[in-house]
Amino acid sequence: MVTKVDEALSIAGNCRHYAMCKVDFLGTGVCASGIERGYVSFYPEGRMDLYAALAKGKVPVTEKCVEIAQSCDLCGKCDYQCCFVTGLRPTRVMEALKSHVARHLAAGKPVAQADADPFLQSIRRIVGDEWATNDRAIAVTYSHDPSPLAVPALPRYVIMPGTRQEISSLLKLLGSAGIPWVVRGNGTNLMGFELCEGAVIDLNRMKEIEFDEKSWSVRVGPGVAAFELQREAAQRGYRVNVAEPAALVCGTMMCAGIVSLFSTAYGSCADNYIDAEFVHTDGSFFSLNKKNAPSLFAFDRAGAASPGVCSSLRVKRRPMTGDESGALVPFDSLEKAVDFSRDCAMRRIGLAIGILGPEYLSSFMSPTQRTAVEVKDALARKLGIVCMVLVLGDRYAMASLKEMGHPMIGQDLFKVLSLGLPSLGTADWLEFIAGLPEEEPFGYLKGGGFTDLAEAALCPSASRLVRDFDPDLRPLYEEIYSRPDLTDLVWLNMFRITSSRIGREKQFFPFLMYLPLDHTLIDDVCTGLGSIALRYALKNDLGFITPVDGGKRCVLEYDYFLTRTTEMKWTGYGRPRLRPAPR
Amino acid sequence: MRQRDARVFALTGATGFLGSHLMDALIRKGRSPMILGRRREGMSLADRVAALLAWFDVEDRGALVETAEVDLLEPRLGLERHQYDALCGKVSEIIHCASDTRFSERSRREATESNVHALPGIIRLAKDSRARYFHYVSTAYVSGPGPAPEAPIVSRTFSNVYEETKAEAERQVAARCSLQATPFTIVRPSIVYGDSVTGRSNRFNALHYHVRALGLIRDIYLNDISQRGGRKSREIDIHLDADGILHLPLRIFLVRRGHVNLIPVDYFVAVMLSVLESPRSGRIYHITSDAPRTTEELAAYCERFLGIRGIEMVYGEGPNGGVQNPPEEIFNKLVRPYLPYLSDTRSFDRTNTKSLATGFSAPDLTYDVFERCMRYAVRADWGNGNGKRDAGVSGASDRGEREKEETENGSVERSSIGRNHSYENRGAEKGMRRHR
Repeated sequence: MVTKVDEALSIAGNCRHYAMCKVDFLGTGVCASGIERGYVSFYPEGRMDLYAALAKGKVPVTEKCVEIAQSCDLCGKCDYQCCFVTGLRPTRVMEALKSHVARHLAAGKPVAQADADPFLQSIRRIVGDEWATNDRAIAVTYSHDPSPLAVPALPRYVIMPGTRQEISSLLKLLGSAGIPWVVRGNGTNLMGFELCEGAVIDLNRMKEIEFDEKSWSVRVGPGVAAFELQREAAQRGYRVNVAEPAALVCGTMMCAGIVSLFSTAYGSCADNYIDAEFVHTDGSFFSLNKKNAPSLFAFDRAGAASPGVCSSLRVKRRPMTGDESGALVPFDSLEKAVDFSRDCAMRRIGLAIGILGPEYLSSFMSPTQRTAVEVKDALARKLGIVCMVLVLGDRYAMASLKEMGHPMIGQDLFKVLSLGLPSLGTADWLEFIAGLPEEEPFGYLKGGGFTDLAEAALCPSASRLVRDFDPDLRPLYEEIYSRPDLTDLVWLNMFRITSSRIGREKQFFPFLMYLPLDHTLIDDVCTGLGSIALRYALKNDLGFITPVDGGKRCVLEYDYFLTRTTEMKWTGYGRPRLRPAPR
Repeated sequence: MRQRDARVFALTGATGFLGSHLMDALIRKGRSPMILGRRREGMSLADRVAALLAWFDVEDRGALVETAEVDLLEPRLGLERHQYDALCGKVSEIIHCASDTRFSERSRREATESNVHALPGIIRLAKDSRARYFHYVSTAYVSGPGPAPEAPIVSRTFSNVYEETKAEAERQVAARCSLQATPFTIVRPSIVYGDSVTGRSNRFNALHYHVRALGLIRDIYLNDISQRGGRKSREIDIHLDADGILHLPLRIFLVRRGHVNLIPVDYFVAVMLSVLESPRSGRIYHITSDAPRTTEELAAYCERFLGIRGIEMVYGEGPNGGVQNPPEEIFNKLVRPYLPYLSDTRSFDRTNTKSLATGFSAPDLTYDVFERCMRYAVRADWGNGNGKRDAGVSGASDRGEREKEETENGSVERSSIGRNHSYENRGAEKGMRRHR
């Protein structure tokens, strides 16, 4: 029998730390206590971690634990957000957390006080009492990352500075005491770089967004998430090249550069910003435009120390025309798709180009995992689609694309398919269509009638699309899926609100690399990575390939999907030497 | 007392539609076919054949059947010398039924390989085994437009790659067999559908495929009518008539009035057995119908069977850029490669075939026969594995299978030769398998 505790632990254990509960990507609002208190512990992501730690006896009920539990009013917003992308219902964990703490208090059990720590007082003198803590209920929510490569570490302090001056003072203080520190984004990093036994600095309070109309730029603070910036930019008729919606703009720009399908037109890394301000590790300030600034492009194979903390970034704004649209061009071989995407990039056709594998596409498009599996089968097996090339562009780019003569799924058909996904898995007619004796693969897409036929066959509707969700979520999701944005290829790729669905079934681990845009080499790389994955029985698939540098090179993502079977645990608070738990 | 016929027929294409029915007929006559073919998708030839024997309900006679995994494109059919010699020692006649039946230009390379390049190897086997006869299964449509005599091909005009490669194959069969003094026959069936008596079929191509396509189009609009009140159907005047019949306006554009020459598979088998019984070297036999149905008649059969009305034949230059409704657009794309066969005006000479036995004529494709065949297809879910599927049945829509069903000369893995055989370990006979 599955108990409520088991269920809550299962849900909590499946949180991928994508932090989608921290951005208002559905327009349904964000957890109020999270906005007010700042620490991730007050957001659903942190509460789930806290509950898991409590239930497993890793941390006691502390003062902050009580505050965290009691500040949740079970409003259900986290269910709307989380279930939309992961299928999870965090509210069940919130209920379990509240119940756990309430029972503890009702039984008259003690509430643990945070350790008296003079050094913490020094930190608080810089950032204020509210914004630095050594409470284990908070620390534990900053202590791990679902990535299989990340080694958990329970930090001694969690600090949330509000200004660059405070960051400066903090770094001086921590440096003088020899306390290691890291700066955390929104909680996931493939290598666990956001984890530290000393101090974790959370910059989520620093959410300034200042548009400079004259310089076509926008200055953003280090706590601004991609979705927040894109939303502000779009409202002003602009676009920015940013990463996944919950990724912090400064963090991703400095750590990984920005890689998106828009990188075809906008480039990556420093192509996307004008300047960045830093607080040096010694507490001094510098900007990248200064002559003596460290070069972020210098590459040290052995790994270089961080030059400091990025405290603001001046991001380029990109113009949008009102006639942008998108299309998906299906291919029956990766080779043809690579050649086509290179052709487009060399001819400067399109703003954004990406070769997408069936796993990627089906995950992003499908509201539930069950549908994703069916859709992948329909695309790959029934229709014989090995990959699709997504091209976004203005009407001239779309006209050029059409002139190139490939069969493609335009915006209208994409909408039909998106809202008709539930019927796709059982559509016998797909195999009939795929078997049409065309001289050209997918030639049936060239006729104007296919969209109409698909619409008649799939009966696309938002209400049918959401029928697999729990009944209480359906009305809201139906309203959301009825919005034009949710079937608009341009909007979906600007805001990427469904991208985290890639980790819905299993934790995904992407390999990202720059490669020459050569189909033989790419095929070799994919085959090699695929065979390694098969050796370890890991699900794997091509993620995406985006041409950059005018088609000379590309960014390739290849994904492994895995389940963490070994739980990591600490050996002691404050000195979290971690080792795998015995099986 | 009549002596038992001990001839061993080497048969290619036995996992295809025609070849499998021929294999069944040979077994039922107590013959011992040697099936030459390849493994596919991880399934050994022996297992593929075993599935077919089960479908034909003759698995108890499996001991009569031997299999050998070969590659027709390789020297000695890809066999080791001793394996090849053993094969030669067994074979007394060869029936070459394997073929790539794809029409499209983009399949030219594969079609040429299968239908032409594979010939020297199998004809060489006829020489090396001193086969009494080499029987080649061609197609009635190699003759090109105009009158179709049971004679070597003169025409150089073909409708598609399939016809072209089969014609070239006929030329090579005649030339090579003559050169090596191997007696040969060529049989030319027209379009073959299921069994006229039972309706059974283990492939759902050609006629079946078109009927199924119409059925799927019908279901799409019935679904639209039931699920969304006919939102899309109304736009193109599709609706349910008062009598429950779906009004589905669908014009099929054909160049001229004509007929479709269809024969049931049981007739094909009967003629083939007669050819095997009393072959005449160099003879060509047309296995065709003397009473082909017109396209209108077949459309009426479809309407009646599917519960639709509104199919209309339009003769002339095609839609000429005119607007087609979505069902028309899709269906006419489907029909396009088959157009030469839907507007056929040829009459096939059948002198040689009729000489085999008096009154040898194909059964009429009446509505009853049509319905029987289609009902069977529906029960078998058109081979999709969702219905009462029989072992050995393949769907017409299995991707890559529909048009390539009988190819047997693909690049079989050499390492597969000799594996998975349960034949007694007789050294030289490795690679062959006898069904038990």
